[in-house]
Amino acid sequence: MSQFAHNSLVQNSIIRLEEIVGAAHVHTSAEDLASRQADGILPSAVVQPAGAVEIAEVLRFAAAEKLSVIPSGGGTKLGIGSPPSRYDLALDVSRLNHVLAYDPQDLTLGVEPGVRIEDLLRVLTEKKQFLPLAVPFADRATIGGIVATNSSSPLRHAYGGVRDFCLGMEFVTGEGIQAKSGGRVVKNVTGYDLHKLLIGSLGTLGIITRVNFRTFPVLPAQGAFVATFSSAEGAFGFCAAIAHSVIAPQIVEVADPGAARLLFSAGAAARIEPRTWPVIISAAGQPAVVDRSARELGYMAGASEAEEFIQLGEAEAPAVLTRIREFPRLILEAAPSAAIFRIGVLPTAMAGLMRELHSLTHKCNMDLLAMARASGILYAAILPKEGDPMTAASLTGAVKQVFDACNNPEIGASAMLEWCPPEIKSAAGGVWGAPRKDFGLMQRVKKSFDPNGVLSPGRFAGGI
Amino acid sequence: MNPQLIRDLVTLLGSNAVLHQPEDLMLYEYDGSVELGSPKCIVFPNSAREVSEIVRLANRYEVPLLGRGAGTGLSGGAIARDGGLIVVFSRMNRILEIDEANLRAVVQPGVVNLDLSRAVEHLGLYFAPDPSSQKSCTIGGNVSENSGGPHTLANGVTTNHVTGIEVVLPDGEIVRVGGKNIETSGYDLNGLFVGSEGTLALVTEITVRLTRKAEAVKTLLAVYETIDDATGSVFDITVRAITPAACEMLDGFTLCAVEDYVHAGFPKDCAAVLLIEVEGLTEAVEAQATEIMDVCRKNHAREVRVARDDRERALLWKGRKEAFGALGRISPMYYVQDGVIPRTRLPETLRRIAEISRKYDLQIGNIFHAGDGNLHPLILFDERNREQFARVVAAGTEIMEHCVAVGGALTGEHGIGMEKNELMSLIFSPDDLALMSRVRAAFNPAGRLNPGKVLPLGKACGEIRIPHLPAPATTTA
Repeated sequence: MSQFAHNSLVQNSIIRLEEIVGAAHVHTSAEDLASRQADGILPSAVVQPAGAVEIAEVLRFAAAEKLSVIPSGGGTKLGIGSPPSRYDLALDVSRLNHVLAYDPQDLTLGVEPGVRIEDLLRVLTEKKQFLPLAVPFADRATIGGIVATNSSSPLRHAYGGVRDFCLGMEFVTGEGIQAKSGGRVVKNVTGYDLHKLLIGSLGTLGIITRVNFRTFPVLPAQGAFVATFSSAEGAFGFCAAIAHSVIAPQIVEVADPGAARLLFSAGAAARIEPRTWPVIISAAGQPAVVDRSARELGYMAGASEAEEFIQLGEAEAPAVLTRIREFPRLILEAAPSAAIFRIGVLPTAMAGLMRELHSLTHKCNMDLLAMARASGILYAAILPKEGDPMTAASLTGAVKQVFDACNNPEIGASAMLEWCPPEIKSAAGGVWGAPRKDFGLMQRVKKSFDPNGVLSPGRFAGGI
Repeated sequence: MNPQLIRDLVTLLGSNAVLHQPEDLMLYEYDGSVELGSPKCIVFPNSAREVSEIVRLANRYEVPLLGRGAGTGLSGGAIARDGGLIVVFSRMNRILEIDEANLRAVVQPGVVNLDLSRAVEHLGLYFAPDPSSQKSCTIGGNVSENSGGPHTLANGVTTNHVTGIEVVLPDGEIVRVGGKNIETSGYDLNGLFVGSEGTLALVTEITVRLTRKAEAVKTLLAVYETIDDATGSVFDITVRAITPAACEMLDGFTLCAVEDYVHAGFPKDCAAVLLIEVEGLTEAVEAQATEIMDVCRKNHAREVRVARDDRERALLWKGRKEAFGALGRISPMYYVQDGVIPRTRLPETLRRIAEISRKYDLQIGNIFHAGDGNLHPLILFDERNREQFARVVAAGTEIMEHCVAVGGALTGEHGIGMEKNELMSLIFSPDDLALMSRVRAAFNPAGRLNPGKVLPLGKACGEIRIPHLPAPATTTA
């Protein structure tokens, strides 16, 4: 922890920061500091620069004074990552909240990091376009945080992750140097793709000051469907059938019975049996394409021995899709002490991993709620049984077992503990799972961008 | 080259895997670009372990080295600019695994792009990146250059299809990055390595995604009396939010050369054609094709025709993919560019290229990926004419400057290599370049791996490099 921690940033430093960003934009009240806490650790000041130039100056000052800086915007995902080893300045990018360039005819966009995703999507909707970022905390999450945490969207199934539609970035390195890579055009191999490194880097490489995206046209018609199965094998078998068909849905998500209760608690609840494994699908395109998808999906569901196949009504579909989008948030609201894993796993290993995770949490006398993006991401939440207070020790034990299950070579999954109480993070031996074989290369990257370790120290894999 | 190094390489790899006679080396002096460089030795490893040993030997003897696939690159990426060793991956050409259920394949770098698609064709799958050289270019080369192709408009470029790689670092260490999973926690090193033009590591194994073939495909040919009408159609297709699988433009001059070469039925009396492909479910293809035909007609297309069958479709694509070769038949040399512009700037950019063509009195053919704004102007020239050569360099630079001025990029898929590295400062600030340079040094500290590529050397600032002849008299930027 910093020599300056607990609001003891020396007065001279505050004065200098006020000179850089203006006195109105440096905050040290208890309330302001608490709003930027990371794993219970408070910064000594919250700084709100107006743009890249001020950010660069703040970072140069921080480097000179050996202060550590953690960026945030909406502040919804400051809990992700290892507890910071030091946290002096919270760098709030909320004032960088402009759409800098939007060329709907070219389907490209340049935005500042503090723009809220909900606001941005509203701008795009006016032009019948969107970004495939149906991410949690949508009312508060900002672009910078979404990119820096590589926030996961169910639309990944059809559109890929941030790396697949991010065209370029501007950012400030740990030494306070303004840099960029990529560009604004949809196809570009000019120079190294440094911006890809910043996606999911949790603020450890640079402070993002502009992100360029390609946008996508809203398709004319949509349909949402639910097929229910009596087992994980049935549900994932159906997903495999879809993947091997010519039908190309936008979203294919599998919920286990616990997650299903959460998703269908309103509206459509009556129609979904609580013990079943639903597969939720959204298909979009020309009306004829949606009709055809509905027919073929229904046929495949039948062939996969679905118990039911229904099309969600126009009113209930958005509600269900919103709950899928907000899955981690719904869990955290229901059980703040939950541990939520984000796991990269191959489609063929999903059913087996699901079974393993259910069995081990059952043995630990806990509940598991899991949702899978059929293309290869599993969200698994461990919760206390209703009315049963979960102890930190038992949760820690379960967390370790989940990591072990993922590391099993037959499963070959890559797990990260995205959300959990701070005390679990260290007790469970970290949130990043087994060290990657290429950890040495990640260290080299970190050293290139932030040689003095100013940015988000200790938050990333392996203590980066 | 140190004879002891040659002996060590022969001991390591066997004499049939080492070339060092001048007549053998000559074959590796060039690639698909207009660049040249003389290697001192060529080696053909069989495994990552051998590659690692080669790298260690190169370090011991302080010799530069670089990787090479089929040598089809268009920016000099696989040319030995500073002499040294070339590691040719043609013997590491096995498809190691096809994982149909998870839509993945694991391949060695020397596997030819089209061979992978052919190997999975019976499963209804293919490897999506389809550079025009796909019959010969290797997947290792695709990874180094982050190659594209006509169909990347809808399906993305190489980086969107790579989930894991094994690399040999410049110190000889063998490291695996990523794997089959779509997501691994930690920095996206795949994203850094893919497209790094062989300057950070040698790639020895690649895990790629396989893509399911569409149910239906329709290929349309729209014929125009003016280039403006053709570019206007592309503009309208983009604006109407239709995403074809491919949208290619060929100008009238190029078409004549192509038609004489492949006899695909292209008109020889028009200003331009668009070759547009839509794919997907039958229903989607019908709807999109109808809408595209409507757009083309509104933009005064003289004729819009749909390929009747696979044979006609294949013929049209043969015309497009062999267009460079067709122009090569009518000119001693051509210089192909790869600039990218925002798609909405297409009409003005084509007018600008025509002006530049007139200004420098040079014939420029235009063949390009119109749908994503990736231009391939081909400037024809005769390398024996030194005065003309200076004009080629000036015209090329002026086209590039226009692309940058309208918010574009220097290269969409061919790479920077040793051809455009001195132009990097048109796009990037000294700070941007310093960071890229620092990242390179983090992996390639001695600069021994593929020296003189991607980043500017600062010797000829703001100039395209076409090195067959002495440097031209004029500096254009």
